[in-house]
Amino acid sequence: MRLRIFTYAVLVAGCLFAIFPYFLTVLTAFKGPGQLSETMPWEPGLPPSTAAFERLFNSGFGGYLVNTALVTAGITLGQVVFAILAAYAFARLSFPGRDALFWVYLSTLMVPPVVTMIPLYLMMQKLGLVDTWAGLMLPTMLGTPYAIFLLRQFFRGIPADLEDAARIDGAGRVRTLVSIVLPLSKPILVTVTTLAVVANWNSFLWPLIVTSSEDKRLLSVGIALFKGEIGVDYNAVMAGSLIALAPLLVLFIVFQRFIVRSVAVTGLK
Amino acid sequence: MLRRAPRRTHRIGRGRQTAVAYALLAPSLVGVLGFLLAPVAIVLVLSLFDWKLLSTPEFVGLANYQKLFTDSDVWHSLLVTVYYVVICVPGTTILSLLLALLVDRKLRGMKYFRALLVIPWMATPVALGLVWSWIFDPGRGALNQFLGVFGIDGPAWLSSPVLAMPSVAAVHIWQFAGYNMLFFLAGLQNIPRSLREASSLDGASPVAHFFTITLPLLRPTMLFVLITNVIGSFQAFDTIFVMTEGGPGDSTEVATYLIYDEAFRKFDFGYASTISVLLFAVVLIATISQFVYFERRTTYEVSG
Repeated sequence: MRLRIFTYAVLVAGCLFAIFPYFLTVLTAFKGPGQLSETMPWEPGLPPSTAAFERLFNSGFGGYLVNTALVTAGITLGQVVFAILAAYAFARLSFPGRDALFWVYLSTLMVPPVVTMIPLYLMMQKLGLVDTWAGLMLPTMLGTPYAIFLLRQFFRGIPADLEDAARIDGAGRVRTLVSIVLPLSKPILVTVTTLAVVANWNSFLWPLIVTSSEDKRLLSVGIALFKGEIGVDYNAVMAGSLIALAPLLVLFIVFQRFIVRSVAVTGLK
Repeated sequence: MLRRAPRRTHRIGRGRQTAVAYALLAPSLVGVLGFLLAPVAIVLVLSLFDWKLLSTPEFVGLANYQKLFTDSDVWHSLLVTVYYVVICVPGTTILSLLLALLVDRKLRGMKYFRALLVIPWMATPVALGLVWSWIFDPGRGALNQFLGVFGIDGPAWLSSPVLAMPSVAAVHIWQFAGYNMLFFLAGLQNIPRSLREASSLDGASPVAHFFTITLPLLRPTMLFVLITNVIGSFQAFDTIFVMTEGGPGDSTEVATYLIYDEAFRKFDFGYASTISVLLFAVVLIATISQFVYFERRTTYEVSG
C-alpha cells in the first residue's frame, strides 16, 4: 500500500515535469505584454489576450502553418507508399541481389543527415530546385530505410498462404498487397505513419537550408527566424511555439493508445 | 528464405518476378542511391577540394585534412559535441530505465501516466528550444522565479559558459526520457514471468535482482537505446540553434553547428565537407564500438 502511494506520487511529479513546459507555453501565449511582467510565469494572465496570435498571423504565420501541414502530408504520403512497395518486394519476392540490396538499405541508417546536407544542397542547386517545393520534399519523400525495415519485418510475419490463395484466383501482386497484406498490417502502418509525421512536421535543418522565400517557409523555420527578428518578445515567441506544438499534441491525444503501443514495437529486433 | 520462394512462385517466370520487384523498389532505390549513398560519396570527394563561394572548385588533395588536424575550432567543437553526448546519453538512458521500472506495474490509470511521459518526444525541437529559453530566462523565466520563492538567486543559465551546455543537454534528456522509457518497458515485459518471480521466492533484494537478472536480460534493449541516442545526440542542432546559437563564445558550438556555419554562412563547401567526414567517422566508430562491446558481453540470449 505504501509502495503504491509512493509510486503514484513519483508518477504524478514526473508527469507534471513532462508537461509543465506546455502549460507555461499556453499561459505565456495568452498574456498581453503588460501581463507578462506583472504575473509569475505559472500564473494565467487575466483576462486572456490574443494579441500575440494576432501579431503572428499578421506577419504570415497562417501561411507557414498551411505550408507545414501540406509538406508534412506530402512527404509522409510518399514515404509510407514507397516504403510499403519496397518492403513488400524485400519480404515476398525473390530476385537477384535482394539480400545484398537490403543490407545496402540498412547500412544507410548509420548515415547522419547532416553529412548528406551539403551534397544534397549542391544537387538541388544543379537540378534548379533550390527554394522550390520539389527541392524541399524530394530528398526524403521516396521512402526511408527505417520504415522499409520495419514494414518488411512485419510483412514477413504474415502467413504466405493467405496471399497464395488470392493469387491462385488470379490477383496480381499489387492487388494482393492492397487487399490482403495491408489490411493485416494496420499496427505497423500506424507506427510508420506516426514516426513519419513527427519527423516531417518537426524537420528544421533541411527546410532552413533549401528554402529562402517567405511563401515557402515552414513553421519551424518561421519561429526560429522570428526570434531573431523581434528579439525577446516572449508572448509572440510562445504563441508561435504553441502553433507548432499544438497539432502534434492533438494528434497524440486522439491516437494516444495506438501510438504508445506502436512506438514500443520499433525497439524490438 | 531464398529457398522457400520457388515453391510459391512456380507459376510465373523468374524474370517477371524480378521485373516486378525492381518496379516496386524503383522509387526507394532512387531515394537511397541518389539521396543517401551518392551524397556520402560526394561529400568524400568534396572534402578533397578547395571550394568557396563563387570560386571554381580546385583539387587540393588532403590539404583540408591537414588544416583539420591543426584547426583548434574543429577540435574544440568535437570536444563540445562529445561533452553533449556524454551528458545526454547516460542521462537519458538512466532516467528512462528508472521510469520504465516505475511504470512496469499494473496500477489504475497507468496507461495515462505512460502516455503523458511520452508527450515531450513529439515536440518540435525548435519550439521546445524557445520554450526552454523562456524557462531559463535569467530575469523573468520560470526557473529563476521559482528559485526566487525559496530566496535563491538563480544564475543566467544560457549565457554562462559553464552552465549553457548542461542546460541545453537537460532539454534533450527531458524530451527523450519518456520516449526511451517505452523501449525499456517493452524489454521488461518480454522477460519471462518465471524469471521475474524467481527472486521473490529466493529472497533476493529487489536491487540485487535488478542487477543480476533484469539488467543482463535488457541488454538488447540497452544496445538499441544507446545506439539511437548516441547517433541522435551527435547530430544535435535544432535546440542549440535557437537556445544559444553555439554560444556563449563557442561553449555550445557542436560539430553540426560548425558544419552549418562553414557551409551556409561562410560558404566554404570544401572545408565544411571535410568536417562532415570527420563527424561521420566519429559517429561510425562510436556505433560500431558499441556493437562490438555488446556482442562480446552477451553470453546468452533469451528469446522472448
